[in-house]
Amino acid sequence: MSNPDLEKREVNLFSGEFAACPQPVYKELVTKCPFARASFGASPVLSRYEDVLWALRHPEIFSSEMEMHMALGTERPMIPQQIDPPAQTKYRKILDPRFSKKRMLEIEPNVRRNAHELIDGFFERGECEFDHEFAMPLPATAFLALMGLPQSELPRFLRIKDMIIRPQTLLDDPTVEASQALRKDAGRQIYAFFGDVIEERRKKPGTDMVSYLLETEIDGQRLTREEILDVSFLLILAGLDTVTATLGCNMAYLAANPAQRRRILSKPEIIPGAVEELLRWETPVTAVPRVVKQEVEVHGVKLAKGEMVTLLIGASNVDDSEFRDPELVDFERERNKHLAFGGGPHRCLGSHLARMELEVALQVWHERIPDYRVKPGETPRYSAGIREVQYLPLVWDRA
Amino acid sequence: MKLSVDAARCTGHGRCYSLAPAVFGEDDHGHCVLRLVEVPPEHQRAARIAVANCPEDALEISAE
Repeated sequence: MSNPDLEKREVNLFSGEFAACPQPVYKELVTKCPFARASFGASPVLSRYEDVLWALRHPEIFSSEMEMHMALGTERPMIPQQIDPPAQTKYRKILDPRFSKKRMLEIEPNVRRNAHELIDGFFERGECEFDHEFAMPLPATAFLALMGLPQSELPRFLRIKDMIIRPQTLLDDPTVEASQALRKDAGRQIYAFFGDVIEERRKKPGTDMVSYLLETEIDGQRLTREEILDVSFLLILAGLDTVTATLGCNMAYLAANPAQRRRILSKPEIIPGAVEELLRWETPVTAVPRVVKQEVEVHGVKLAKGEMVTLLIGASNVDDSEFRDPELVDFERERNKHLAFGGGPHRCLGSHLARMELEVALQVWHERIPDYRVKPGETPRYSAGIREVQYLPLVWDRA
Repeated sequence: MKLSVDAARCTGHGRCYSLAPAVFGEDDHGHCVLRLVEVPPEHQRAARIAVANCPEDALEISAE
């Protein structure tokens, strides 16, 4: 039986106000409207922890295999994000070891050195624009190293990434058609670039990701050129954007909440807990899409096969049925099963890389620049979708 | 204290071996492995926190 009251609430997940401060909207949805409708496309929006976790754990009902019109400039699904088990499981078996926590700890010293170098570059100025001068280059440098690519490729990749993830910010007239055209163009550039990389690595293998993918077998079979391209495509989008967004959200929060910043200064050992709690509270990847694969009823509403569903992870992370005092940002929260990295078989492949980068960044930044704030008179600007703080001017006193 | 791991549920978040490294370890895929069958008193608090933080509910205290 349909319940019209539950469907009434329309939610605009792509407004600037929502991106800057989504938590009040989350609270309203979780408490009053666990089944809402997105204002674009009217697709269902699920927000309760229990519902989101259930959907994440059941890819046979809530599939990641999107129709191609949803694609981000790709010609085929990205691997492993846009395919479901059992095929997805085979790819995760070869990719997970390359992104395990112990492997990420091996590259931690490089990330730490890079964080110091970035700060060296602007420390004496007493100010920086955090997004462009720290949040973008830090994870991007680590990504290029993992892929065995020269750092000179950085500007090209950052531009391609933005063409795909937020084309509206690069267009004077951001129509849907113009955005899609930009994404397709970026997609072609990625395929062409990595097509060349594959040829080079075939001739001269290294220790990088593409070389690994070229020599790895699944069920006795080498990966095809297309499969390697489809993995690389995903790694670009995921490796260049999400940690940048998270770093910005974290620093914007700490700059605006000096008491919390002082907690980190007086007790740096809580940084891993702070990273987890800020992932919960800020949830930079606010939502993930799924497509209904078999008819299912949620909160009394029948969802038909083929319908798009938005799982509002950010909302589930402030659901008081799972989190005690969800609006309290507590860096020493004992139980924190946040879903910022998703859950179920599609758990974020890069979660250990992300956590390492986020911890190192907070450690190094607070060692070097303990006392900072948003530049007086300025306001941080958040982008919709994935919440990148695209403008975050910070100032500090040079010691 | 005894713990059990449901390997079918684990997807490799790694919260357990980050929060209680003496009790839990990781295999090559980053999935959880039990390092101790019997958890001694000095590691029980960390073990409890780890169990409570598994996003997949893959861990259980099977005996106190």
